[in-house]
Amino acid sequence: MDKRDPFRHNVLTSGHRACSGCGEAMAARMVTDLVGPDAIYVNATGCLQVFSSHNQQSAWQAPWVHSVFANAAAVASGVEAALRARGKETPVVVQAGDGGTFDIGLQCLSGMIERGHNVLFVCYDNEAYMNTGVQRSGSTPHAVRTSTSPPGLFSQGKQQLKKDVLSIMAAHHMPYAATATIAYFPDLKAKVEKAMGIRGPRFLQILSPCPLGWAHDSALSVTVARLAVETGLFPLVELEHGELTGVMRLAGQKPVDDYLRPQGRFKHLFTGKEGAVELRHIQALADARIRRYNLLEADTQWDTASALRCARHGRGGYVSSSLSVSQGVDNVL
Amino acid sequence: MSSKLEIAPGSSTAYHTGDWRTRQPVYQNKWPPCSQTCPASEDIQAWLALAAAQRWQAAWHKLTERNPFPATMGRICYHACESPCNRKHLDSAVNIHAMERYLGDRAIAQGWCHEVFDDTARSQRVAIVGAGPAGLSCAFQLVRRGYSVTLFDAQMVPGGTLHSAIPAYRLPRSILAGEIDAILALGVEFRPGTRVGKEISEGELRDQFDAIFLAIGTRRPREYPDKVTSHHSVMSGIGFLQSLNRGEPVKLPKQVAVVGGGNTAIDVARCVRRLGAEVTVICAQDPHGMQYRELGTEMPASSTEVSEAEAEGVHLRYRVGVSRLVRSGAHLSGVEIAHVDRVHDRYGHFNPNFFEGTEEFVPAGLVVFAIGQEADWQGLENLAQASEAEGVWVGGDAVSKSKLAATAVGDGYRAAMSIIASLKGEPFVFDAHKKTNITFRQMQLHYYPEEHRHEGELSKDRLAGFNEVVKGLPESDAQQEAKRCLSCGVCFECDNCWHFCPDAAVIKKEGGYRIDYDYCKGCGICAEECPCGHIDMESVV
Repeated sequence: MDKRDPFRHNVLTSGHRACSGCGEAMAARMVTDLVGPDAIYVNATGCLQVFSSHNQQSAWQAPWVHSVFANAAAVASGVEAALRARGKETPVVVQAGDGGTFDIGLQCLSGMIERGHNVLFVCYDNEAYMNTGVQRSGSTPHAVRTSTSPPGLFSQGKQQLKKDVLSIMAAHHMPYAATATIAYFPDLKAKVEKAMGIRGPRFLQILSPCPLGWAHDSALSVTVARLAVETGLFPLVELEHGELTGVMRLAGQKPVDDYLRPQGRFKHLFTGKEGAVELRHIQALADARIRRYNLLEADTQWDTASALRCARHGRGGYVSSSLSVSQGVDNVL
Repeated sequence: MSSKLEIAPGSSTAYHTGDWRTRQPVYQNKWPPCSQTCPASEDIQAWLALAAAQRWQAAWHKLTERNPFPATMGRICYHACESPCNRKHLDSAVNIHAMERYLGDRAIAQGWCHEVFDDTARSQRVAIVGAGPAGLSCAFQLVRRGYSVTLFDAQMVPGGTLHSAIPAYRLPRSILAGEIDAILALGVEFRPGTRVGKEISEGELRDQFDAIFLAIGTRRPREYPDKVTSHHSVMSGIGFLQSLNRGEPVKLPKQVAVVGGGNTAIDVARCVRRLGAEVTVICAQDPHGMQYRELGTEMPASSTEVSEAEAEGVHLRYRVGVSRLVRSGAHLSGVEIAHVDRVHDRYGHFNPNFFEGTEEFVPAGLVVFAIGQEADWQGLENLAQASEAEGVWVGGDAVSKSKLAATAVGDGYRAAMSIIASLKGEPFVFDAHKKTNITFRQMQLHYYPEEHRHEGELSKDRLAGFNEVVKGLPESDAQQEAKRCLSCGVCFECDNCWHFCPDAAVIKKEGGYRIDYDYCKGCGICAEECPCGHIDMESVV
């Protein structure tokens, strides 16, 4: 066990092999520290599984199961049913990438939700199959360059749209489905804590930039995630039983160029006339999402400006783990 | 089960991902722009942080490390610190001078005593000539470090120009006296009415003291080099303010003209308004905000002082000079002004070039020339020539270009540190560690909430007398204002680097963070997302 940090459990600790500046590693560390070590984590195949369990070493400091790509939700269903049979209330959390959620894992996920298992499913959405070399996925947005959607004479990157997985989830009439990013920690914290307070299947989609696949500077992972929200391309919303119950209002809409320019996967859009058309298309997609969720006028607890605010001496850490620090980690475990 | 399949929790920590790094983050305190600009080099961020935590006395002690006059300077200093404040790129600058004043006033009201660093008495004696802000600041620093200090002044009351020439509506006498008393109470020997060259000779000073600091200020007004002036109905700005501050009855005509564009001219004009006369300021420079006009220079007076003066009914005329005094017999009937193209010739001599045909008549029964003062070195001719190696230091208005009280305070501190180093036989290095600057571009301003600036209330009935114009901040406002400090380049423990490290390589500890270089991959997110620019990325060689 690694107990270097007295203020945090580090369920996903150091020494993992994620790339420098990995948004998914950051998101997973945030979520698992918010849920705490007293939970069972089921991990679909993907970057997170590969970089955290390497060479007979594990970066996990909580019970952790690796399933195959497609069946993480089914494994979690089984774990949850077994716990229920033994009268235990240990939380079960599934972690999967966008491949294991949008495409390959969708069937099992749908079944898990439909059967009503008490499981939190977290999708770390980095919008392509990064682990195997940046192939397009159902989550890859329109006009993105990937190794299987290269821009050229006949295309400007991926021709199709990003799959609206949240609406699919919400259509299951599930208790809680929400989106979050790594850029707004207070928002992510509120959503994880809310999800952990609800019984039944819960779904969290967390936008996690990938410096390698998105081809941006490793230092900009948080900035890019923030811009995805501020431009309206990635609305932060909460749905309960299919109804929209919360959005994060935009303090001001930024042009999508701000978001696209730092990323090499959109570089081809900034040369030539066809690219300019796609830029207008992406801007129109952002506008449509803003209209759909009323992101500019919604009456909300906080907006993209106030959710960023820093305070002297922190703005809320990992309550559950800091509690366990004061009481001694071992006692809680 | 074979032991090879046993995988321990957290066993990945055996693998040090720090090897991958080509750049690495380093926590590095910066020296914020306010402190860089402050002529007294106060650590403004540090004392504002203490004030924000309502540790008022600790904040005052931190402030007075460099400046023993917070209540005074908070009132009269033109707060150069506020113009480069990075906060102006978010909403508006932090009201540093009001905070300084608040701490100073609180210290006087609660009778706080200065800290003494070293009470082992030393045999070395230091003489300070001039009990103005420079001399008092130097004495303060020396005496709290155990040196015996004798302070000479030709006047009977300490304070120098602060006492003799700052009008009471800007600086109430009791406030200044309170801060001076706190310094003298540390054990400074004050010899009033002692002018070097008269009551005590230069030779006696050299014999009796190991080091001498000359801070004689500028008490001699610069004469208007116009042959037509006679001394009837003509005064100097400093002479006017001094006689007013001595409480001498001043009888003014209905209309007064003040010549000059500096703060003394504005002080005189505002005093004249308080005495009930009309006043016109004749300023050869351009108004504020016009500095890019051809040949133009901005007037040197502080812009807040000018706008307050205008609000009090002072008329200002820009780019004009006095071409002639208009008399009828011995009686002054006014001044003739004309557009002035340039004031000094290309050799830097005063030689105004008026444009013919632009003359105007400004009626005035008294003209006050507030065009600068000079040091009076009479009686100190030999000492003034001596160098620091010979044990003589010089500072304050007499040698500074800016002629600001805060510069004098800073000079006093610097001289004291230099004297101590010299007396101990050590080399003198001044604040060498405080060179790293920080601009808003290195900071992430979107992480700070917007918060309006708290201003001291302006008194309503300003022209009725010499009561203070600006009121102090109430405690609640002071605390709010202190919290507005962005803490440029100095960590305020917002947890961003800790939250955002993908590798759990930032370790939170009591009172800060530590980077675990065994695991830091050098992505740079912590530096990018640090609101205050405290984290630098260095290349790993």
